Amino acid sequence: MSEEIKLMKGNEAIAHAAIRCGCDGYFGYPITPQSEIMETLMEEEPWKTTGMVVLQAESEVAAINMVYGGAGCGKRVMTSSSSPGMSLKQEGLSYIAGAELPCLAVNVMRGGPGLGTIQPSQADYFQAVKGGGHGDYKVITLAPASVQEMADFTALGFELAFKYRNPAMILADGVIGQMMEKVMLPPFTPRKTAEEIKAETDWATCGKPASRKANVITSLELEAVDMEQRNLKFQAKYRQIEENEVRYEELMTEDAEYILVAFGSSARVCQKAVEVGRSQGIKLGLLRPITLYPFPTKVLESYAQNNQVKGFMAVEMNAGQMVEDVRLAVNGQKKVEFHGRLGGIIPTPDEVVEVIKSKFELK
Amino acid sequence: MSDIIKPENLVYTKTKVLTDVPMHYCPGCSHGVVHKLIAEIIDEMGIQEQTVGVAPVGCAVFAYNYIDVDFQEAAHGRAPAVATAIKRLMPEKYVFTYQGDGDLAAIGTAETIHACNRGENIVIVFINNGIYGMTGGQMAPTTLEGMKTATCPYGRDTSINGYPLNITELLAKLEGTRYVTRQSVHTAAAVRKAKKAIQKGFANSMEGKGTSIIEIVSTCASGWKMTPDQSNKWMVENMFPAYPMGDLKDK
Repeated sequence: MSEEIKLMKGNEAIAHAAIRCGCDGYFGYPITPQSEIMETLMEEEPWKTTGMVVLQAESEVAAINMVYGGAGCGKRVMTSSSSPGMSLKQEGLSYIAGAELPCLAVNVMRGGPGLGTIQPSQADYFQAVKGGGHGDYKVITLAPASVQEMADFTALGFELAFKYRNPAMILADGVIGQMMEKVMLPPFTPRKTAEEIKAETDWATCGKPASRKANVITSLELEAVDMEQRNLKFQAKYRQIEENEVRYEELMTEDAEYILVAFGSSARVCQKAVEVGRSQGIKLGLLRPITLYPFPTKVLESYAQNNQVKGFMAVEMNAGQMVEDVRLAVNGQKKVEFHGRLGGIIPTPDEVVEVIKSKFELK
Repeated sequence: MSDIIKPENLVYTKTKVLTDVPMHYCPGCSHGVVHKLIAEIIDEMGIQEQTVGVAPVGCAVFAYNYIDVDFQEAAHGRAPAVATAIKRLMPEKYVFTYQGDGDLAAIGTAETIHACNRGENIVIVFINNGIYGMTGGQMAPTTLEGMKTATCPYGRDTSINGYPLNITELLAKLEGTRYVTRQSVHTAAAVRKAKKAIQKGFANSMEGKGTSIIEIVSTCASGWKMTPDQSNKWMVENMFPAYPMGDLKDK
């Protein structure tokens, strides 16, 4: 339907998609470059239409704990922030994972460390994918590379979070959050009713009827034997996620000799770099992970074992984070190079091609 | 004997909302009494199915084992934020937090103040015993000047650690709070008053008029290194002057 195709920022797309996919609550705090998410929600006033709660919390810490409370009730709740604020949420995410709760968190990355810069970066890959909070847990991590994916991954994030009772994250960068592109917004899905929530989430704190024992949402277990079992259960869940939920996109990899590996804005740059490289006679291809956790290890392994492939280059806006997972997957079978820019600088397609030529000594 | 045990002869029974799990609290601790009061109120109001509790980090971290309602364990200090979301998403439920002095007035100060400032329609039960019991008796924001704890073994020195924090007085000044009161449970009369106060908080929370905070000035015989009887006396002589009993606000 053409009336549903709009031109908007990535941040705005998340807000609209959240309302449309039946989100029950958003709790957030302003921080550049993602404040438009909450601003758009406030302008749309969904509490008047769908009944969605939108609340500006007093801090990112309070917001993630509001998400915990809402998630414990079986509701579809979310928060968003940018890097320094995401650091504040790490305790909350660990608790959410430890209590086996579903939720969606959005990180529109900016440069760091510390207060850093408001310019874009991809330097929170480790924080998101390796578990920025304490303990053995993972966050299902989706990396959008377009405004359309910002919209699509909102519903997908909730779907995966509820499927596995685990936090899910949209890991975007300031470019995707701020750039404007055409987007087809999803159709309106009503919020779940109280009955539907009770049916979907028999563990939630919806009020204890006589027919069942009290539901307790907690991540605490002091008996070591029981705590080990609890953690083993989580690990089994993570193996399932790794088996079933890998998502990635490929560009001209069928006959590629050199494969670029990039996510988010870096992948957009690499899409053009593939074109530029091919026009210079270099058989470049691009593997774009869509899920950063679970990482597309198997497909990278198969390219590493492919005689046609001579090498890989990870391109990131950081000092080298995802490249470690590329190296793990490639397992020494082919050379893995890295090109990164820092401080908010975005690499150009020509730069990427020059670097790959230099690293692999191509003409 | 069997002809005495008839319904009409029943004078007192443990409320069914208090579970049969033996409590882990120390002899002389106020937690057991306050848990019982909350459970009785939930039973008498008939709201077991409509109540969600938020447990703290502190000795009462296992409150959910004793009070038989749906519960969420909050991170340290975050209970008011957790409760905010529960109440906003399920406004038909009674939502209460149960917090100690470290939870509410140290690490959770921002969450406490802002939930109260927003006038969240929740009940906050604040157990103030001037010490961190669960972690072994360290100093709390409400520890009195000169009081000895594991992290101020020679007595709280206000020039280093500041003053006992009258958080409840601060909260009473906020527009968003509706009912702010200080109670105790060290005598039968005090217990009855405390129960009325907590019950009022629960009733208030359905009227959309703001936050109710019931502070219970309490003892910690283990942390204070006294007998239960000594700690009750010490509380009356030392804690009560610093944290005076009564209603600070009742809108």
